[in-house]
Amino acid sequence: MPPMTYDAIVVGSGISGGWAAKELTQKGLRTIVLEAGRPIDPNVDYVEHVRPHELRYRGMGDRSRIDRYQPVQKQCGACNEYSGKFFVNDLDNPYTTPDDKPFSWIRGRQVGGRSIMWGRCVFRWSDQDYEANARDGVGVDWPIRYADMAPWWSHVERFVGVQGKKEGLAHLPDGEFIEPWPMNVAEQHARERLIEKFGGERLVTNMRLAVLTQNQPANGRAKCHLCGHCERGCITRSYFSSLNATLPAAQKTGLLTLRPFSVVHSVIHDPKKKRATGVRVIDANTRQMFEVYGKIVFLNASALESARILLNSATPEFPTGLGNSSGELGHNVMDHIMGGGATAELPWFKDRRDIGNRPDAVYVPRFRNVKTRHPDFVRGYGFEGRAYRVGWERGTDMAGFGANFKKSLIGDLGPWEMTLYGFGEMLPNHENRIEIDPHLVDAWGVPALRITVAYGENERKLFDDMVVSATEMFEAMGATNIRPIKDDNPPGLVIHEMGTARMGKDPKTSVLNKHNQVWDVPNVFMTDGACMASTANQNPSITYMAMTARAADFAVKALNRREL
Amino acid sequence: MHRRELVAALGAAITVPFLPRSAQAAIDIGERLAGQPDVPFRTLNAKQQAIVSQIAEMIIPRTDTPGALDAKVPEFIDLMLTEWATDEERGKFLAGLDQVDTRSIAYAASQPDASVTTPPQRFGELTGAQKAGLVNEFDTVRGDNSAIGITFGRLKALTVYGYFTSKVVQEQILKEPMFFDGYKGNVPFTPAV
Repeated sequence: MPPMTYDAIVVGSGISGGWAAKELTQKGLRTIVLEAGRPIDPNVDYVEHVRPHELRYRGMGDRSRIDRYQPVQKQCGACNEYSGKFFVNDLDNPYTTPDDKPFSWIRGRQVGGRSIMWGRCVFRWSDQDYEANARDGVGVDWPIRYADMAPWWSHVERFVGVQGKKEGLAHLPDGEFIEPWPMNVAEQHARERLIEKFGGERLVTNMRLAVLTQNQPANGRAKCHLCGHCERGCITRSYFSSLNATLPAAQKTGLLTLRPFSVVHSVIHDPKKKRATGVRVIDANTRQMFEVYGKIVFLNASALESARILLNSATPEFPTGLGNSSGELGHNVMDHIMGGGATAELPWFKDRRDIGNRPDAVYVPRFRNVKTRHPDFVRGYGFEGRAYRVGWERGTDMAGFGANFKKSLIGDLGPWEMTLYGFGEMLPNHENRIEIDPHLVDAWGVPALRITVAYGENERKLFDDMVVSATEMFEAMGATNIRPIKDDNPPGLVIHEMGTARMGKDPKTSVLNKHNQVWDVPNVFMTDGACMASTANQNPSITYMAMTARAADFAVKALNRREL
Repeated sequence: MHRRELVAALGAAITVPFLPRSAQAAIDIGERLAGQPDVPFRTLNAKQQAIVSQIAEMIIPRTDTPGALDAKVPEFIDLMLTEWATDEERGKFLAGLDQVDTRSIAYAASQPDASVTTPPQRFGELTGAQKAGLVNEFDTVRGDNSAIGITFGRLKALTVYGYFTSKVVQEQILKEPMFFDGYKGNVPFTPAV
């Protein structure tokens, strides 16, 4: 094989790798994207319009097969009979955990990565979030603030297409929004009742969502037609993903090489130049190892995978992993904590319904530790939610049978119900870590991870408070039949892994500088969840995207100045 | 959230403890199953089929629209019992089902019908009123831990799910569109019940 040499190497084609590919190629760099998994053909693989009766188990999944091959992945609700193929085979992709610290590592190895099945909720951070570590004396201070990020959020939001309602909240800044879908009549009423009771402190607002409500003809994307199952793909490219948006944009430049079935094993380091020269890759089909060379390397394989690559890249100079002079590589693993909340019945508007299947609906921004300090915990959480009429599914556990039972299920919709489901911040903790398991390799012979992560006391308190405050809100709105939700989810299952190569101001305590450069190897950039020094409580993907665009801009300018 | 609740109602454990295994590549036996034509009953014997069919049709009878039998609900239940349920779930379902005839005999004795001279020996021999009364008894213990409660809870959930996800109901009754021109959140609605 002739030497494969490019200007830039991007490892991973998911939500941040897609952005690296787009930005680097549009700035003139010949770029190769190395994706471990298979290519995806939307015409074949997208199944959002398949009806349940077209599937053998009507959407309930081929359980014995899933139990055997995807015992971890199936914990994610999107890993179902339709979309299970977008999640990895757990037997091929093993890892270990201590017995008392389960961690659910949910992965998608294919072109597009997890951007195919992601949740699409996108929020900016505020300085309250960036200043939190310094204020609380936790972890390390972020080397950046809102002002560093704001133009880059704008840059990515305009391309992504983010629907949202401007609320003017200092702690959840508005973005470059397109018109959102309206809230339904029950959600609107809930909003008004809560404004009355809480004076705007607890607010139901439209979800900020990477789903188009207007056509984007220049990018070949149509507005969403509300079929309702984004995790199955989207033939009209209405929701944002690498496949639907960034990779096609990169391809248009003529400078992109996309190589699926390319499992990156490690980064090649030149100790004299103190630079990376490329990566070692295993062809997933032939199991042959080969090398790819480039002037810069963007690691966008996901927080745990990107750190795993560096841990597998140890050299005499860096015996515990490339770029690990701080000793923090692989440490400070974070996720969010989710699963506290409530469901209730809304005794209103039985003569009203909604039409169209929104993939996501409403959001309650953080209200804890915003204006006043909570005595028991730091940081906070937000709620994702929706109000809906239950429909025929209520019949699976409804009293009665016979003609009237049937008529009710067909002709009525049941009451309005509303669910609020909390997503809270997780604090960084050095003890939460990944390391290479000395006894385990994956199907391609790459040393696999041992993951040691547990939620701490602050997270548990946030979780408990989610249940309390969701119940309070339903009581305040006059809801009935309030049922608390306490889903005891293991870490990992929120699928917001972060922190394995945190940014910081000091190379002694952080892996990356404020430009997402590895302090020790400045032509290696990490712009996925690995770079995060804290999690805030907002869903993180748009921040990875903005961080990637910002780092790509810096990298190309530094290359042009011959600094890399 | 809904699907999760539904899966729970149908008897699947959502989370299992994760036991990592060494890597071995082998996959794609699942596609072998997709798209096969209807298969004959493989789990329910003739007696059990008769009970499942009669109760499913009582839950969702044919009216001016198709009923559970038209939607091939018993076949769907047999498929799920055969290929989807665990051995334990299947065993519990069948154990409860096998009590139905005994319960029928007892129910007929307690609620005799003067016009019937031979005491019924099975569910199918009850009068319509007796069947309805007995199924109503089952419905009150639906989902509890008794043998009948477990079986009837699952039978009802599978009947409703199997009916509403069937081709005939999806295409002739629900007719839910896949394409909407925007979301409408405040549309007048009059229940047809």
